[in-house]
Amino acid sequence: MTRVFLVDDHRLFLSGVKAELEGKVDIVGDASDVDEAIEAIRDTTPDVVLVDVHMPGGGGLAVIENVLETNPDTRFLALSVSDAAEDVIAMIRAGARGYVTKSIDPEQLVESIARVEAGDAVFSPRLAGFVLDAFADTMAAPIDPELDQLTPREKEVLRQIARGYSYKQVARRLSISVKTVETHVSAVLRKLQLSNRYELARWASHRRIV
Amino acid sequence: MPSGMSPNRPRDLRVIPGPTLIAGGRQAWDDTGVTEPTVHSRHRLSFRDLRRREDDRLLGGVSGGVADLLGIEVVYVRAAVIVLALIWGLGVLLYLALYAATSDPEPDAVTPPPAADRRKRIGLGLLFAGSLLALRAVGLWTGDGVVFPAAAMVFGTAFLLDQRDIDSTNLLARILDPNDRSVRSRTVIGALLLILGLSLLGRSAAPAVGTTVVAVAVTGVGLTLVFSPWIWRLAKDLSSERRERIRQEERAEMAAHLHDSVLQTLALIQRTDDPKRMVTLARSQERELRTWLYERSPDVGENLTTLLRSTADRVEADFDIPVEFVNVGDVVADDGIRALAAAAGEAITNAAKHSGADRVSIYAEVSDDGIDVFVADHGKGFDPDAVDGDRRGIAESIVGRMERHGGSVEVTSEPGEGTEVHLHLNKENS
Repeated sequence: MTRVFLVDDHRLFLSGVKAELEGKVDIVGDASDVDEAIEAIRDTTPDVVLVDVHMPGGGGLAVIENVLETNPDTRFLALSVSDAAEDVIAMIRAGARGYVTKSIDPEQLVESIARVEAGDAVFSPRLAGFVLDAFADTMAAPIDPELDQLTPREKEVLRQIARGYSYKQVARRLSISVKTVETHVSAVLRKLQLSNRYELARWASHRRIV
Repeated sequence: MPSGMSPNRPRDLRVIPGPTLIAGGRQAWDDTGVTEPTVHSRHRLSFRDLRRREDDRLLGGVSGGVADLLGIEVVYVRAAVIVLALIWGLGVLLYLALYAATSDPEPDAVTPPPAADRRKRIGLGLLFAGSLLALRAVGLWTGDGVVFPAAAMVFGTAFLLDQRDIDSTNLLARILDPNDRSVRSRTVIGALLLILGLSLLGRSAAPAVGTTVVAVAVTGVGLTLVFSPWIWRLAKDLSSERRERIRQEERAEMAAHLHDSVLQTLALIQRTDDPKRMVTLARSQERELRTWLYERSPDVGENLTTLLRSTADRVEADFDIPVEFVNVGDVVADDGIRALAAAAGEAITNAAKHSGADRVSIYAEVSDDGIDVFVADHGKGFDPDAVDGDRRGIAESIVGRMERHGGSVEVTSEPGEGTEVHLHLNKENS
């Protein structure tokens, strides 16, 4: 079973998620503040860390950055109520392999955890929309065409996800395998994390909370 | 002999002077008690130590600086400046000179010198009186009938205003307190000086009306100046009180809002056994709270996103089904966009009403090709070739709307696979 660690400063939410995931994943620990989380994650070395975006003391960003320094194999899935583009993009760029909202239903959450553990990316419709928006064609020429642009196929996959389809549905609709969908999405994640496109940061900070 | 000593003990116990806060937030040693005798003698007065005060000042903070340097209260320095100002404006000149000569206040480097003890205070008073007499002797004088009564009145007021260890609420108690000599003696000295000044003024008023008018006027100004720290403090209290009131009003508004909305909902949720209703309540409350938190900013006007979002919110509330809205790009609303949004609204309502899906997804994209809106559900779907009348009617209202504005509609559905309505509007046609 996937070994999961939970980080959220809302105790109530923490216990709710725990109850939902009980029996489906192996919850090795939880923490409700940043420092506690960093230490406990280093101790328990979980496969996947479910981390809240907004927390006092640096938030999920601090947790990801600090843990990845010592444990680069730890995988993070950001879980937030915020939906603010700058937060989401910042978490992804810090190393999170995906982002889901707190209203996600339990089965989807378990599926997302498995996907993150497998090294794939988890894109919610909203995150797909953010990425399409951030990489939308602008006048400025890309500095690194490899990283600063999405391929037509990647865009197509993201559009399907943004329209609310699951990876499986996307695969069927585009007549490709689920594995190919995952490959495309992981490639997009990599671009999102590595691209130096300055529009990315500017775009994220301009975009208001939805 | 212990038994004989005990009755005397309470008398012998001197209150050990502790730091008391005075108006400017400075620490001062109560001069009724015993001050460390060596402190003032070790502290050497140096003009270089003179710093203008930054806080608790009237004009340039020079008087405050001088007061800090001498270890006395600023009212006495102000009184001295006023009295000197009556001698051909000497005080004003002195003030300006000191202002020019002193350095700017350094808030970090403030080390208030120890307060002067009684001996030093008397010494400083005599020094000032001596300086006045010296000025009189060398002929730098505006007349006995002006300077003396004014000096008596101004210093009298200063004594009355010396608030170093009292506040207005316990003034009377302190004056009447038999064990507290300092406040009472200050009050008595102040009152006597005021009376002396007034009577001197009255005597000199008879022969020389002109000088008296000047003296009265200047004394009036002096009194105002002397009183001003009081007024100043009163005004400061009032403004901080006002700030606090505004903050409390904001808090009250926030509390009222939370009470009307969030707390009500939470109370309802606690009384509900039906989990579905709980979810409905929580969702509608979340939406409402988000709107309140983030959308109180000035209206950005009507555009595609706001239109679609308000439709999504309405359907979500009416049909109790989550509507997920994602958009890429936005465009200002015109007739075409409004028709598009209305058509999308029909499609969303349709999906919520008929599909049986547990959520509806909306995706809107503005690109060079035009505007595309997808409304998708993962519900039961239908066979587009065998639509019933109801479906057809709604399709008409969607298709008709779009085609009138040069747009197009594409409906894909399959039984068991859900439905997707794709609305497209060319940019030039919108």
